[in-house]
Amino acid sequence: MIAFTVALGASLATAMLNVMLDVGDKVNRELKTYGANINVIPKEASLLDDLYGVSEGHGVSDRHLRESELGRLKTIFWAFNIVDFTPYLNAEARMSGLDADVRLVGTWFSHREALPTGETLDTGMRNMKSWWSIEGDWLSDGDADAAMVGALLAERAGLSVGDAVALESAGARRELTIKGIFEAGSAEDERVYVPLSVAQEMTGRPGLVSSVEVSALTTPDNELSRRAAQNPKSLSVKEWETWYCTAYVSAICYQIEEVLTDAVAKPIRQVAESEGTILKKTKLLMLLITILSLAGAALGISNLVTAGVMERSREIGLLKALGAGNAPVSWLILMEILITGAVGGAAGYFAGLGFAQIIGRTVFDAAINIKPMVIPLVAILVFLVILTGCVPSIRLLLSLRPAEVLHGR
Amino acid sequence: MYLLDLQGVSKIYGSVKALYGIDLTVEKGEWLAIMGPSGSGKTTMMNIIGCMDKPSEGKVLLGGVDISAESARSLTAVRREKIGLIFQQFHLINYLTALENVMVAQYYHSMPDEKEALQALDRVGLSDRAKHLPAQLSGGEQQRVCIARALINYPMLVLADEPTGNLDEANEGIVIDIFRKLHDEGITIIVVTHDPEVAEEAQRTVILEHGRIARIVENRK
Repeated sequence: MIAFTVALGASLATAMLNVMLDVGDKVNRELKTYGANINVIPKEASLLDDLYGVSEGHGVSDRHLRESELGRLKTIFWAFNIVDFTPYLNAEARMSGLDADVRLVGTWFSHREALPTGETLDTGMRNMKSWWSIEGDWLSDGDADAAMVGALLAERAGLSVGDAVALESAGARRELTIKGIFEAGSAEDERVYVPLSVAQEMTGRPGLVSSVEVSALTTPDNELSRRAAQNPKSLSVKEWETWYCTAYVSAICYQIEEVLTDAVAKPIRQVAESEGTILKKTKLLMLLITILSLAGAALGISNLVTAGVMERSREIGLLKALGAGNAPVSWLILMEILITGAVGGAAGYFAGLGFAQIIGRTVFDAAINIKPMVIPLVAILVFLVILTGCVPSIRLLLSLRPAEVLHGR
Repeated sequence: MYLLDLQGVSKIYGSVKALYGIDLTVEKGEWLAIMGPSGSGKTTMMNIIGCMDKPSEGKVLLGGVDISAESARSLTAVRREKIGLIFQQFHLINYLTALENVMVAQYYHSMPDEKEALQALDRVGLSDRAKHLPAQLSGGEQQRVCIARALINYPMLVLADEPTGNLDEANEGIVIDIFRKLHDEGITIIVVTHDPEVAEEAQRTVILEHGRIARIVENRK
């Protein structure tokens, strides 16, 4: 029963610790389906936005980022945490049948980017905006004569899938077919999306983009990352290294700015902070379950060992009568329980790996990565739980007097 | 110098006087029996002599050393080094073989020596049953294992509590024979018993009544 109790506690601890250590990536990836958490814009555009509240596209700034540099995003220290990124080239355009200008956005839809590392990355809007509701089809980057229109704009202009529409921007006119109408539930529903190359051609800005949305796996912010976000130079060398080598959103932004010319990377605070909060709460929940399961195991062990000592009181009394001191007898009982607990702990560890995979498949629809560091953690926890559970029984054992248990007085 | 010297020993449990003003000496190599009705203080006296309890008053000198004021830790050491205990209920550990039960006493005394433990079993005629568990042994055989365990560390004093209380006549005879041999070898034995026949085997019998020594009988054997 002791082995079973330890196995139960160890299995829950193993499952929860493995899930807890892997849940950051899993929850992050889940949250990534709801959009980007970093926005990269040209430095000057950022300054104007900060000072005067005017954003790009109003004819104030003609600074752009270079499309050819975007592959560098996957060369930063936290390259593996960059899940997706999509560039946008924004322009005002005149649409046939409408009096006012509409926002024309060129972007990657499903783009295969050759990285400087020699690898390739499949990225684009289809990954980044997976929650969009589409009537018709997504565009592909090769659809030079097609466009996607937001639902509100389509309604206003009386457009439906398959209709032709003329767009005129910077003196260039183009006839496009509506391939899809999307509903994003935001300001994007008033926009027209075309492949990036089409927008670059129409606006006469080849190889340039206005902004880049980046979806990155991040670590929840803490005091250090908040200080660094305000001014990285305020950190000591050691703090700076810690910050730089941790996937804080501010560190990733900093590293993005290092590889893109004249770029400012800004976290989309609402998304980044929500991710951090959800992650913290999920981890806290896992930790509480681990603590409660171990506390339950400790109580169980305590009861079982105490009952065992009471059951074996004659044997223990005999050993004391034969001259065994309290320490050797306590050690004997403790060793027996530790060996039993080790067997139970090993069985519980492997059962816990199974539980972790069940949780991973059920909750995240993905396998949980087995973390080797859980083995020493569980071993130490099982050891401490057994020691804690044994305290009442050892106290009982120390109070046993051979004359009482052997002769009843 | 006496091997054991009880001077005015009393034991009081709350308002109950289990032993009162006991004066008794035991010489080295002597075989002493303690008799008395239930509640006369036999077990209390045995617990005090066996260092499993301390007197409320008086002195207990074992080998000339006053053990009545010793700490529980020191009394454990005295039990381990100087006293061999034999119980009415045998108190063998049921998952250990006869040999291992004997070796348990060695383990806590010095270090287990299988050869020596086998010799101790041979001394009580049980070398052929060394690998048997207590459940596979008769009551008499279990008591002989208990005696072998008591003798394994060459104690100064062997203390037996009703050693034949759970045995049939045949096994009682075997155990008494072993005690005779031990006595012949010069081992000091104190036997607490209800049985007058067992008591008569001793050189002296102390009769306890109401926690006091009523009389001491010199046996003729």
